Amino acid sequence: MRHCIPLMTLILLIAAGLTPGYGLASDPQQSPENSLSVQQPTRAKAGSVPAHNTGKPGITDKDPYSDEQNLDYDDDPFAEPKVTIADPLEPFNRISYQFNDKLYYWAVKPVATVYKWIVPEPARISVKQFYFNAKFPIRFINCLLQADFSGAGIEFGRFTINTIWGIGGLLDPAAGGEIKLAKQDTDFGQTLGMYGVGHGFYILWPVLGPSSPRDSVDIAGEYLLDPLSYFGPWYTGIGIRPFKIINNASLVIGEYESLQEAALDPYVAIRDAYAQYRAKAIKARKARSLIFKDVGTDDSPAGPSVKK
Amino acid sequence: MAPSAVGGMFGPPQTVSRESGGLNTTIGYWYYEDTYKNDTSHPIRQHHVYSQVSYGSKNIWEIYGRIGVSDLKIFDASKSTHIYTTTIKDHFEENWKFVGTLGAKGFVAFNSIFGIGAFVQASYNFSNYTDNLVGIYHSTPFTDDLKVKNLWNVNFGIGAQATVPYGIKLYAGPFIYYAEADAQLACGIPGIQSGDQRIAWKNKSIIGGYFGVDIPLAKGFRLNIEGQYTDRFSIGSAITYTY
Repeated sequence: MRHCIPLMTLILLIAAGLTPGYGLASDPQQSPENSLSVQQPTRAKAGSVPAHNTGKPGITDKDPYSDEQNLDYDDDPFAEPKVTIADPLEPFNRISYQFNDKLYYWAVKPVATVYKWIVPEPARISVKQFYFNAKFPIRFINCLLQADFSGAGIEFGRFTINTIWGIGGLLDPAAGGEIKLAKQDTDFGQTLGMYGVGHGFYILWPVLGPSSPRDSVDIAGEYLLDPLSYFGPWYTGIGIRPFKIINNASLVIGEYESLQEAALDPYVAIRDAYAQYRAKAIKARKARSLIFKDVGTDDSPAGPSVKK
Repeated sequence: MAPSAVGGMFGPPQTVSRESGGLNTTIGYWYYEDTYKNDTSHPIRQHHVYSQVSYGSKNIWEIYGRIGVSDLKIFDASKSTHIYTTTIKDHFEENWKFVGTLGAKGFVAFNSIFGIGAFVQASYNFSNYTDNLVGIYHSTPFTDDLKVKNLWNVNFGIGAQATVPYGIKLYAGPFIYYAEADAQLACGIPGIQSGDQRIAWKNKSIIGGYFGVDIPLAKGFRLNIEGQYTDRFSIGSAITYTY
């Protein structure tokens, strides 16, 4: 299950981003047509009572402090902008979501659970690190394409150190100790985003996970630049990639379940988190770029809309 | 025929891992020369590149594993002793093959500067080395395959260490070693020492000496330079990263 944005990373993001103060307004029971209109979440202050969803789209129970809450939210100069993404393919995407959900519960999770029981966590982390290290060409080239030359240098240094002293990438000495070279987790979707290409709309690919037309370009780019694509005959990938999925899933078992429990509509939660994650990633990459540093946030009609 | 039994560097007697216990990883290069014999002696030469992972603790002990590749050149390996046999190529040469090494070391410190340690290290070649033999026997040209297999060695040594300013470690000591390999021709040729029966070859010397320096670099890296003398001189260097 190769993702444009790895599903498990997204789950982590969502899990980290979902606080009790966030309420997802979309009703899991509502029809796909209704769910195209996504209500903006309301962030409650710590200790306050979150708005209660009535089950009707766009309508919440009257709360005596709601006006005050809204005022606080609207006036908060530090509030994170809410990023949304168009979802005209929601019927297809929801089917895809159900497929991925069943794939996770019926295949990935049982295998990953057994694998987790057999293989110690440090070894599984090393395997994950190995795959990450092998994708160095993708990150290096994208850093160059983004005019982030220091990032390209850091990636080159990380790859060299981790390959030589990290036993082929199984360990990550470059991130620790006195070296402290931070990972440059970038891809072709982010590069296109920095060039001004908008998201387009939301696509939830079966197996591959959340994406958009722009980020789907990354699927081809990653395949061509991933050294593991050239490792042995074509069917070698049939073994390598599922193993990678199982290994990564074994490190986050339970987080997807937590997300499902916390979110009223996990589909909407994943979609919104995906859009927000990508917008933040591109913004962060722009801040590092020599050329794109001063270019504003992507708010093109085709891209994700950013609202305060 | 002579065996390949490159062992590689021994390193400083004291582990460079954290006192509380931790990994250190190394990449190294070793230029190896020695003399091996059965009935006659043959100098051998190898270039060995390796990667090593070690775990040590308390500044006292360390275990390590090493995987690397090494080539093999044996001088005068195909030289004929028979009047009717002439070989066109005298040297045996083969490219990189995998070598694995395991080792352990212990150290006792007398004070903050001096200490003494001991180590044991064994290596094994996972692959055989093969080269062809071309010559003339009774005016008839021949070609034959020479195979060197089951190469292994074991080393045991003690070493004294002095830690001088800037954390530089100087060390030296004696060691004993044993190396063995089987050599076999595909078809026996008169005058060529390795016939079509397996012949075990062993190291000419059994004792040697080693000395080296281990220098701290920046950001957790260390540079190790070491020399060993048995029947011939070997030298190498390695860079270690301590986690």
